[in-house]
Amino acid sequence: MSKSLSTPQNILDRSDQLRRALDGDFRDQVVSSLYGEAQRIAERAVRRDSSNKWDLDQRIDRIVTSPVFGLPMMILILAAIFWVTILGANYPSAMIASALFSLEHQAALLFESWGVPDWITGFLWHGVFRGLAWVVSVMLPPMAIFFPMFTILEDLGYLPRVAFNMDWLFRKAGAHGKQALSMAMGFGCNAAGIIATRVIDSPRERLIAILTNNFVPCNGRFPTLIMLATIFVAVDFPPVFASIAAAGAVVGVVLIGVVFTLLSSWMLAQTMLQGEASAFTLELPPYRRPSILRILYTSLIDRTIFVLGRAVMTAIPAGAVIWILANIEAGGTSLAQHVASFLDPLGYAIGLDGVILLAYVIAIPANEIVVPTLMMVYLGADLMTELTSFDEIRALLVDQQGWTLLTAVNLMLFSVLHNPCATTILTIWRETRSARWTTIGALMPLIFAFVVTFLVATLWRALV
Amino acid sequence: MSQMPSSQSDRNCTSCSVHAHLAQMGVSIGHYDYLVALAGNPNTGKSSVFNALTGLKQHVGNWTGKTVTRAEGGYQLQGKNYKLVDLPGTYSLLSASQDEEIARNFLLFGRPDCTIVVVDATALERNLNLVLQVLEITEKVVVCVNLMDEAGRKGLEVDTRALSRDLGVPAIPTVARTKEGLHELARTAAGVISGEIETKAKRAQPPHEVQKALDELIPMIDAFAPGLPNARWVAFRLLDGDHKVRQALLSGELATIEAAQTTTDERFSRAISIHGSQ
Amino acid sequence: MENSWTSWLFLIALAVVALLFWPKTGLFVAISRWRELRRRERFEDALKHILAWEQRRQDATPESIGGALGLVQSSALSLVADMEERDLIHSTGGALKLTAEGQRLALHVVRAHRLWERYLADDAGVPMERLHRAAEKAEHQLSSERIDALDAHLGHPERDPHGDPIPRADGSLEKDNAVPLTDWPVADIAWVTHIEDEPDVIFHQILSTGLRPGKSVRVIENTPECLVIDDGVQEHRLVPVVAANIQVAAEPVNTERPVGLRSLSELAKGEAAEVVELGSMCRGFSRRRLLDLGITPGTRIEASLDNPFGDPRAFRLRGTVIALRKDQGDQIWVRSIGEKTTTKDLSASDCYTNPEEIKRTAENAAQGISEA
Repeated sequence: MSKSLSTPQNILDRSDQLRRALDGDFRDQVVSSLYGEAQRIAERAVRRDSSNKWDLDQRIDRIVTSPVFGLPMMILILAAIFWVTILGANYPSAMIASALFSLEHQAALLFESWGVPDWITGFLWHGVFRGLAWVVSVMLPPMAIFFPMFTILEDLGYLPRVAFNMDWLFRKAGAHGKQALSMAMGFGCNAAGIIATRVIDSPRERLIAILTNNFVPCNGRFPTLIMLATIFVAVDFPPVFASIAAAGAVVGVVLIGVVFTLLSSWMLAQTMLQGEASAFTLELPPYRRPSILRILYTSLIDRTIFVLGRAVMTAIPAGAVIWILANIEAGGTSLAQHVASFLDPLGYAIGLDGVILLAYVIAIPANEIVVPTLMMVYLGADLMTELTSFDEIRALLVDQQGWTLLTAVNLMLFSVLHNPCATTILTIWRETRSARWTTIGALMPLIFAFVVTFLVATLWRALV
Repeated sequence: MSQMPSSQSDRNCTSCSVHAHLAQMGVSIGHYDYLVALAGNPNTGKSSVFNALTGLKQHVGNWTGKTVTRAEGGYQLQGKNYKLVDLPGTYSLLSASQDEEIARNFLLFGRPDCTIVVVDATALERNLNLVLQVLEITEKVVVCVNLMDEAGRKGLEVDTRALSRDLGVPAIPTVARTKEGLHELARTAAGVISGEIETKAKRAQPPHEVQKALDELIPMIDAFAPGLPNARWVAFRLLDGDHKVRQALLSGELATIEAAQTTTDERFSRAISIHGSQ
Repeated sequence: MENSWTSWLFLIALAVVALLFWPKTGLFVAISRWRELRRRERFEDALKHILAWEQRRQDATPESIGGALGLVQSSALSLVADMEERDLIHSTGGALKLTAEGQRLALHVVRAHRLWERYLADDAGVPMERLHRAAEKAEHQLSSERIDALDAHLGHPERDPHGDPIPRADGSLEKDNAVPLTDWPVADIAWVTHIEDEPDVIFHQILSTGLRPGKSVRVIENTPECLVIDDGVQEHRLVPVVAANIQVAAEPVNTERPVGLRSLSELAKGEAAEVVELGSMCRGFSRRRLLDLGITPGTRIEASLDNPFGDPRAFRLRGTVIALRKDQGDQIWVRSIGEKTTTKDLSASDCYTNPEEIKRTAENAAQGISEA
């Protein structure tokens, strides 16, 4: 073969000619020959013990994907996880809170005795530290219980079965069944959920999954939901059933989130992201026995500490900002009160109030600090009340701030539907590299949140 | 090729620090002697192998596509530093999905000194498809037959010797979760790199017409780029019309993996923005 | 309260002003950019039009361009003058011809259009009737680099979903020997190769009959008023002007249900079968995915799980469990394991069986059954 024949262009042209000359689909032939070879090698290397039939997995699968039990089981498992979380987190939360708040109290007294100026003591201990204390006590216990349980499910191999069960619904919504996987990851953190959408091959369906992941309440939002469910739903039940009722309420809110995921997916598929379902191939891996040590490591170090660390990092500046807002006065009222009363009309229209909206504005960097912000603004600068139990929080919210069941319901809805946190928005941008989709991903949920809460508030006021 | 490491028992070397933890993920692995790629189907415990070798703690979940990005770590063996790159799990290297492209580009352009292909002992047939595809690209391969314990529980007996013989590269049985066999694996990879263990990759015989086309193209490629280690694979890709390989051929230079990966990411974003705007 | 309402109004006003005048992304900038794009689109559409007429051996005129693009006479003329100035076309006595550069550009747009349609149909799953409009937009936005990449990604398809040949990178085009359905002899079987996607009304009417490229039809009656055809399921009556938009050829495109085979979707739960082939309508990424998972001819596959909604279902093959949707299962042809007439040893060289051979084997099998 002469050298002159081997220019790159010649090679390309010849390969194009050869490709067209090949009978049938080149790829089909290559893959078939590869699999033929693989099959022959495997047959020689593997001996099957026929007495040990491999059907434990199949038996489990027949149950978890069964037409009758499949879906109820999914909801039941979810409810059980929440129930254990609520039950287990209540007491440690109160303990951590009282420990940290007494530390705040003692430290403030100590500073006072040293003659440190009041504003420094206030800023450091009643601002920065209090924000931190709230975040740790509200978030740590539920996370430390929720994450390990969720990781067990993940390591067992249950999640692909959920995707298998749910695919039909997603498909009807114009989306992909693997969206269920990214949603499941979203329970931990929406940013992680958005990264997990990479398992979806079709760009259109992946984009839908990215834009709607926010409707899964992440761990930063659970504490809010759990607190509200405990304070407003569980109180109406006898103590024995209280935690079950609370778990039921949280599951209800999560299901509302799922409904909105499907609804918004459907709306996107009808408008901006038209198209029909792409190929769906999902492997259902064999069940694996989870390794306890690894689960503890993953869920406690990787997830809990990571998420908590992020929350703490935002809680410190947020605590400082709130303290400043609450302590700098203009015209006799604090800045926080000014902002809150500015937001009040909007808050009232959607069944909430200005302080809650202010809390959501401050909590844009991380949803975790919504409840701490609420508490700190409600309590103001000079109140030294230590809220260590749900009863005391209830007293504050209902008796002093005039919360009603409507406030609680709408706050739960708002919490599930509102805009994603800054980290999530950034992740959307990183994954799509498109300002347009990032904007839609941030604003669409917010619009949903306002519309839904407004409708609920209006109907409620008209009917109740 | 017959020199299988499993025959040389060297189990007393417990002090060898296979699990020595070199560096955290990312670019911090400054100096390394050898580059080892870790490929495999999704959900074969590839991440477990990676964790066990590097001492890193990448999360291992039981669902397909868990590792969606490339992770890097290092380990040390007999005074040499190895950089281990965990590629995304793929069923094949032929489709044009994002992860397959990343994995394939790394094997082709990243020029690893050795590639460990992790296979699931309970689904050997499906996994060998990928092994055969990797063998088309490179001969420096060690097959890590993972999940041997699961296979045992399911009543499957995997003869790794027969496997080694048929594939022409070493096959090491492992249970990554309990770190069983990993020392052996690292030593075998070292042997393949040093040339102590000779490998002669099995190549699936393509249909007659395809073979004829290949026979015509390979000499042309060889004449154009003498010393290219995998002219056959390049010919394969040209017949399939692989855009990246065409470009690499036209430009005369094989792009680096970094560049290739950026374009992949950007291409995806573009696809999204263009598609979305329709 | 009073105070806050005025502040709200002010904020809203501010937002509206920003929306209009923001540099780069504001409404005004967007509008001017849109007009620039429109101009280029018009150019390319006109070139495409001239190319299409050249291929039909007709001469395009400024009037025909005006008609196709919906322009008034004066703007059509100025468009033509503009293109002439740029050396894209030259006119000889009212007839417009493409220059080499004009032809290159026109082929580029056609290639972009048809490849994009192929992509939308194969990978994005956009329904047939929406393909054309989406591609009309995308064809103007694709660089030739991206088109080449798309071409390779799709596995160098020869035809778009309507059956039109896709120009290759070097500008060559596959010869088309199809004729309009109206010219097809009565009683002969014809294979639909192409459905003209313009005008919309006629295209939709054809789609509603269920005819698609790759289907076979038999012309039963051909009169100037009406054309009666049979697609094997039912009879359709078409007005000749509609039927003329369906191109047919004698060459069979193998998409019919292979004789004697069942689709994977038809397997009962727990039933095992052997894969015979992947249907030819299953293309692109979805076909490659199925192959990569090991669904190749000769593979043993067993319906393993149903789910609460009955779709998707999970199948066991090669030691793994894979879930597939029904419309994918519909494309995978299988036969019962006992039904095999010859036991074939699967070795590498004869593992791949070509479709013709498969069909023959299947027909033999079917005969065997009917005789038994």
